[in-house]
Amino acid sequence: MNKSKKTGLIFFPAFDWAITPTHPEREERLLYTRDQIFEEGIMDLPRIQEYKPSLASIHDVARLHFCVPTIEKQTTEAHLIAAGAAILLSEKIVNGEINNGFALVRPPGHHAMRVVRGNRGFCNINNEAIMVDHLRSRHGLKKIAIIDTDAHHGDGTQDIFWHDPDVLFISFHQDGRTLFPGTGYTYELGGPRAYARTINIPLQPGATDKSLLYVLDNLILPIIKDFKPDFIVNSAGQDNHYTDPLGSMRITAQGYARLTEKLRPDLAVLEGGYAIETALPYVNMAIILALAGLDYSGVREPDYWPGRFKESADITESVERMVDELLQRWEMRDRVSPDAKKISGNYYTRHKHIFYDTDYIEENQTEHLRLCDNCLGYLVIDSDAKHGYSRSGRVLCISVPHAACGRCRAEAADLYEHSKRAANYKYVYLQDKHNDIFYSYSTDSDHEWRSAEL
Amino acid sequence: MFAGIDVGGTYTDAVLLKNDQVLATAKVPTRENLIGSLTEALDTIVKDEDKKRVKRIVFSTTIITNLIAERKYEAVDLLIIPGPGLSHDFYKNIPYAHIISGAIDYRGREIISLNEQEIETVLREIALKGSKKIGVVGKFSPRNTFHEKKVAEIIKKKYPEWQVEIGAKVGSQLNFPRRVVTTYLTCATRDPYHYFIESVRQALDSRAISAEVFILKADGGTVPLQRSEEFPVETIFSGPAASTMGVQALTAPGETAVVVDIGGTTTDLALILSGQPLLSAKGARAMEQLTQVRTLAVKSVAIGGDSVLSRTGNDINIHSQRMGPAYCLGGPVPTPTDALRALGLTDLGDRKKAIEAMELLGQGLSITVEDIAGKVINRVGDNITIEIKKMFKEWEQEPAYRVWEILHKHSVKPTIVAGVGGGAAGFSARIAEKLGCRSVKLPYASVANAIGAALAKPTLQVNLRADTEQGYYIIQEEGHQEKISDRQFNEKKALELAKNSLVEQALKYGLALAADDIEVTRQEVFNMVRGWDTTGRLYDITVQTPRGIITRIRVGE
Ligand SMILES: [Zn+2]
Ligand SMILES: [Zn+2]
Repeated sequence: MNKSKKTGLIFFPAFDWAITPTHPEREERLLYTRDQIFEEGIMDLPRIQEYKPSLASIHDVARLHFCVPTIEKQTTEAHLIAAGAAILLSEKIVNGEINNGFALVRPPGHHAMRVVRGNRGFCNINNEAIMVDHLRSRHGLKKIAIIDTDAHHGDGTQDIFWHDPDVLFISFHQDGRTLFPGTGYTYELGGPRAYARTINIPLQPGATDKSLLYVLDNLILPIIKDFKPDFIVNSAGQDNHYTDPLGSMRITAQGYARLTEKLRPDLAVLEGGYAIETALPYVNMAIILALAGLDYSGVREPDYWPGRFKESADITESVERMVDELLQRWEMRDRVSPDAKKISGNYYTRHKHIFYDTDYIEENQTEHLRLCDNCLGYLVIDSDAKHGYSRSGRVLCISVPHAACGRCRAEAADLYEHSKRAANYKYVYLQDKHNDIFYSYSTDSDHEWRSAEL
Repeated sequence: MFAGIDVGGTYTDAVLLKNDQVLATAKVPTRENLIGSLTEALDTIVKDEDKKRVKRIVFSTTIITNLIAERKYEAVDLLIIPGPGLSHDFYKNIPYAHIISGAIDYRGREIISLNEQEIETVLREIALKGSKKIGVVGKFSPRNTFHEKKVAEIIKKKYPEWQVEIGAKVGSQLNFPRRVVTTYLTCATRDPYHYFIESVRQALDSRAISAEVFILKADGGTVPLQRSEEFPVETIFSGPAASTMGVQALTAPGETAVVVDIGGTTTDLALILSGQPLLSAKGARAMEQLTQVRTLAVKSVAIGGDSVLSRTGNDINIHSQRMGPAYCLGGPVPTPTDALRALGLTDLGDRKKAIEAMELLGQGLSITVEDIAGKVINRVGDNITIEIKKMFKEWEQEPAYRVWEILHKHSVKPTIVAGVGGGAAGFSARIAEKLGCRSVKLPYASVANAIGAALAKPTLQVNLRADTEQGYYIIQEEGHQEKISDRQFNEKKALELAKNSLVEQALKYGLALAADDIEVTRQEVFNMVRGWDTTGRLYDITVQTPRGIITRIRVGE
């Protein structure tokens, strides 16, 4: 089959969905983007193929997330459509119907972690991560790179793939000391089995296209070249734009286009970006044209002129130093031994405190990774949370990876059955990716649900 | 009495109706002289009647389609204002377009002002070439017509005899490239269309016919003859619309019908979903480019009664070209029409010759004439069925931008296949069988198009956009832009404005429209929030007159 040269586009502005009427994630967010791409006739271009989104299945969500108490309680149709759009485009890319794609959808997802107790950073479920696991489970893809270019650290995606050596997660963002969620430092490099498969590049406020492209050329692209992914995803947030009300960076539409052109992602998925008039119409248009290999030089913001933004020498130097440091980490990736303090017996443990800013929930997690010589080991997350002043219940989440060994599978199944009988948990979940069957159990009602798709 | 006349590529069909009854029909070959064919058909149907009692005549004509296809028009030049965005190289392929500076954004704000000197230079160039038809088209002009109007004003002042069209008036939807094409076609066709309309009027006057005269549009609605001159390009491709409206008039309400119109070399397919003819999500296509002309969703398939047939082994091949009429009508090669004739599914042509054609096709195979003719009909039916299924799929896959739309659009299955035109009946049974629905034998199937024209309702649409933060609204069909002075302006008032404008426009069409009959097809309200405060609202409202047919034809007895 001839490889298609088309760029697939799903535009789903969810004009009838908002977190609250005045929230940044509201109906109006992609309105002017619609105006711009429709007026420019983008959908009529021979290189562009527009698709209608379909809903992600509950099973697709269950493969990736532990939604407490249930997926239905944590998602609306809009979430399933946004995730479904990413899945649909990724499948068309894998089967060669289109060359690449852009899911220009809302709501976003990159702050959603493996355990979901509410909305954080405007996200409930992680669109890209759900898509990645769908591709691996259903289409046999192995190695995936996710490049998160949102101004906010993609802490949800990082959490989900922390222990996964087959998923390279690189995020550049505005320094966590100055912006939600306050993480994404260079020392966050991934779990014991996936060292340096997580790379964070915190940029100082005021960084321009220059630093962005420096990081891309000297760090991201060389690492991708080494990693050799089967599929590249771009979490394409647009809040690095110089007009964004939440971020303080100075990236331009031209900068985003250059980034896209050089990165050549298979699939870009919209994340944040809240300068709905001054940035989004131009940035989205620039990204679409760059993906389609069309001339984007004419796209510019009304108040932009070349040379408008000069980066301070401090920023440039610190970015160069950081790139050097991270390149060294990457070079050492297979020679680093895990932190002994975090290992006891056969388990590697980390503690996490997670804050859900939108829903005001505080969650504490203890995560154990079973260290196994035959496979990547299964993951156990013990989670408890406070909603305002009330507790929302402790849950136990067990995740068995796709290529788990027989012993790990048996151990995880035993732990699940045993925990169902223990009185400490309100819910117990077992994600058996090996068999693609997902269980959840309520101790209160003594009822078990199971999701299986054939 | 109502008359409907469809001037098609091959035949001109006409009907005369009295309420829900067909009084007379006519079918005459379409000649070079369209007016001649049109009047001949008209004379045939009204000959026995009192001409004064003909109250309404609707024409569907290929005049615009032909003008565009044959490029029978004077040179047109466009002044386009694309501003920043898509590379200007995209517009350099349009040989008649001159790019001038200026830009308006999606909210209608001026980003880059016009440069009058530059405009005058361009106009001098055009004057030197000698063209006198100019279109002015700006990106985002439906959001602010200021630039287009200003340029038009400059032209009118310098060259008062030039014909100037502005984009916002002929292409009010958001799509600049389609607006450019639509404006170009409007400039190109206005004069020749005017002569055509004048000839029609003279022909009617000379026959002492004083009926109200309408023209059918691509969207299956009608427009009074006089008003059709404003947007002549709307009358492009009205033939398939005529057939579709005809099927609507000849079948039960609420059916989901596939309209199969098999012509000489092409088959036109259209859909009626739960009683409503399906509009295309995109505009009509002319000169291989999309326009902003609303049209029914029609698919043309290169298979017809005169298509050349051949055979490879046991397989029948259908070729897209035509080498003359069917063998049974004196043509050189076997065609699908011969298969129909051989099986007695049509009375057209010589049966003996048809059998001969099938024998020719089956030569070397030990196969009966019936079997080979059956194979041909299956093949034609199968190919058309594939295209019909694609149409339904395309409809299901039309993009949607709201959660509600994604959740509430369910796939539909056709309930009937309605064949119109000469040979359709023979094939539609096979198609219906493949689709798992009924094939209906329409009375007056061969003049369904003329019936559709006769019974189509006038359609009028008004699009209103109001931006309360900037304090103005635009009625796009009128290119009318006005300040919002009412501080209590709200959704209800916006809707009222749109409805009032529609009623006014309808009056100009001689149509008394009750407010209750107005259909609201779009009612979008967006809160504009800056910081955490609501600073204004955007309203996008579309209202229209009810689409469809005046009455159904009584069938049976
Ligand atoms: Zn963000
Ligand atoms: Zn194991």
